[in-house]
Amino acid sequence: MHDRLTQSMRASHLLALLFVLAALGLAAMGAATGDTFYLRLGTEALIFAGLALSVDLLLGYSGALSLGQALYFGIGAYVSALTLMKAPSFWLAMGAAFLATLVAAVIGGLIANRVRGVYFALITFGLAQVMAKVVYNTRELGASDGMIGIPVIEIGFGPFSVSAGSPVGFFLIVLAIIMGLYALTAYLLDTPFGRVLTALKANEKRVPFLGYSVWRARMAAYVLAGLIAGLSGALYPMLRGFVSPELMFFATSGNAVISVILGGVGTLIGAIYGSVLLVILKSIIGSWTEHHLIVIGALFMACVMFLPKGLVGFVRPSIEGWLSRQPQAAPVPVEPIGLTQAIAKSGSAAS
Amino acid sequence: MSPIDYLQFVLAPQVVNGLALGVAVVLVALGLTIIFGMLDVINMSHGEFYAIGAYAALALGAAGIGFWFLLVLVPVLMIPLGMAAERLLIRPVFDTKDRHVTTLLVTFGLGLIVEDVLKVIFGANTQRPPTPIPGASEFFGIILPNYRLFLILVGAAIVLGVAFVVYKTRLGAMVRAAAFDRNMAASLGVPVSLVYAGTFAFGVGLAGLAGVLLAPIYSVFPTMGRDFILLAFTVVIVGGMGSIWGAVVAGLLLTQVQALASLVISPVWTDPIVFGTMVAFLVFRPQGLFGRLGHA
Repeated sequence: MHDRLTQSMRASHLLALLFVLAALGLAAMGAATGDTFYLRLGTEALIFAGLALSVDLLLGYSGALSLGQALYFGIGAYVSALTLMKAPSFWLAMGAAFLATLVAAVIGGLIANRVRGVYFALITFGLAQVMAKVVYNTRELGASDGMIGIPVIEIGFGPFSVSAGSPVGFFLIVLAIIMGLYALTAYLLDTPFGRVLTALKANEKRVPFLGYSVWRARMAAYVLAGLIAGLSGALYPMLRGFVSPELMFFATSGNAVISVILGGVGTLIGAIYGSVLLVILKSIIGSWTEHHLIVIGALFMACVMFLPKGLVGFVRPSIEGWLSRQPQAAPVPVEPIGLTQAIAKSGSAAS
Repeated sequence: MSPIDYLQFVLAPQVVNGLALGVAVVLVALGLTIIFGMLDVINMSHGEFYAIGAYAALALGAAGIGFWFLLVLVPVLMIPLGMAAERLLIRPVFDTKDRHVTTLLVTFGLGLIVEDVLKVIFGANTQRPPTPIPGASEFFGIILPNYRLFLILVGAAIVLGVAFVVYKTRLGAMVRAAAFDRNMAASLGVPVSLVYAGTFAFGVGLAGLAGVLLAPIYSVFPTMGRDFILLAFTVVIVGGMGSIWGAVVAGLLLTQVQALASLVISPVWTDPIVFGTMVAFLVFRPQGLFGRLGHA
């Protein structure tokens, strides 16, 4: 039996598969032609896709718009950079970034989850702004110049190792990590926890009556989103060899929000497509004019107004239809599932 | 330095400068809080409307129009712009489920466009129109620029005028009625959609007026709106969203915090201190000084 949510997630997974295939195609092309520019750009797009994924987890599933998600991205990047400069180990850097963003996201969540709606958007924005300015003013962290000279590391996998300096190798590693984060998020959202989040977005007042803690669910989503952003950010200094306070600024958070809206809120894979789309758009429009914000802003506005589910939300229904016509898919008529049904399902799964 | 000298030459000018900045921030925040309080809509492009006002003052001033006339002309020119923005962007999404987030996103997109358009038309460089009131006055040995004093007086007059219109006139009552219950107000004969468009345009006009007034002090550059809007939003949050008096009190309070922190601690740490104050406020009093939480 598949309900509507499972159905649409299956469509998302198909789009994710297409994405991975396209990315592998790019990697193969890059390896064949020895082109590093597009691979490096693609790697950066994937890293920022991780940030967009974390924004979508909050906005698309718990309905909380974070205008400061770059905070955790930046913390991940700085902690990773500091670790790499002391001890050039990939796993150590990722572990340190994980722990640091875990602590930061718990503290940030305790503060931000006291409020809802616009206040949540503005408090996340404020938190990121405070932290960005603190980093900007701290000489030990390179102040406004950021930190440069982060060593190129070897990423060891048991007997194998891949250099972060290798365009194809690092692209594939980042692809694996970001798609891994996508898969993990999609898996968690398919559990009862995910259904509570969906219910929360639909009607927050009713959720406590069903015995679920709103606060705990929101907190869990917030911390999870923080960790995704932090782990993505940790990859950034490995790619570019530097970090700067701009990683925490509003522009970075804003770009992630734009990516999510373009790609499709609440589709997860849309955030990743949106992020890549944004990078492509910027470089295409950027080759005509330096004023790409006009086009991107207009596209963004049009998306919010006329295509509220974004690009993926636009194409996904037809994929869903195609999937449901497949013989292996359960022959259940696709019907809109209400909140109560969603909760009933998650409740029966929990008990 | 003796304590008297410190008071006279360091502290007092800093407090007055903080007051001038406070009035400036309150002027920008005023339109923001009116649009939020009356329409229940977030206008993230408010800072860009402020920038449009400043650029309009710069361009028209260079074309030979006097400052005093600009104070009236620019806000009037901003009104059709605000009406159009409300009609084209706000009204289509006004009835969406999550109005706050949707309007925030739409106006965020508008802000991006306006910022780049200003860059295309006027270039990225910082410009500054000449000060319309030159010179400085001395009070008890404290030297203060005349224009800042003028700004403080005009700002106070504008805030009082707006509060009078909103709270004491028939027009204000109609606006508040439309904000309180759209359907009931409509059935009583209030032209609700005109009131909404008018209120939005009024807020935009106030942003434009702030642009004219502040351009000679804070310069004019394409991203000026973004820099100011952060502080204005902070003021609106701390004051309580939708409250005029809240915006005034919070604006003056926060800019004094900023002025004194830059004097006592260091200018580079003022932003973390001001935004930290906002975060603390949201944690301990989410509804702000004068706000009601039911709104957001």
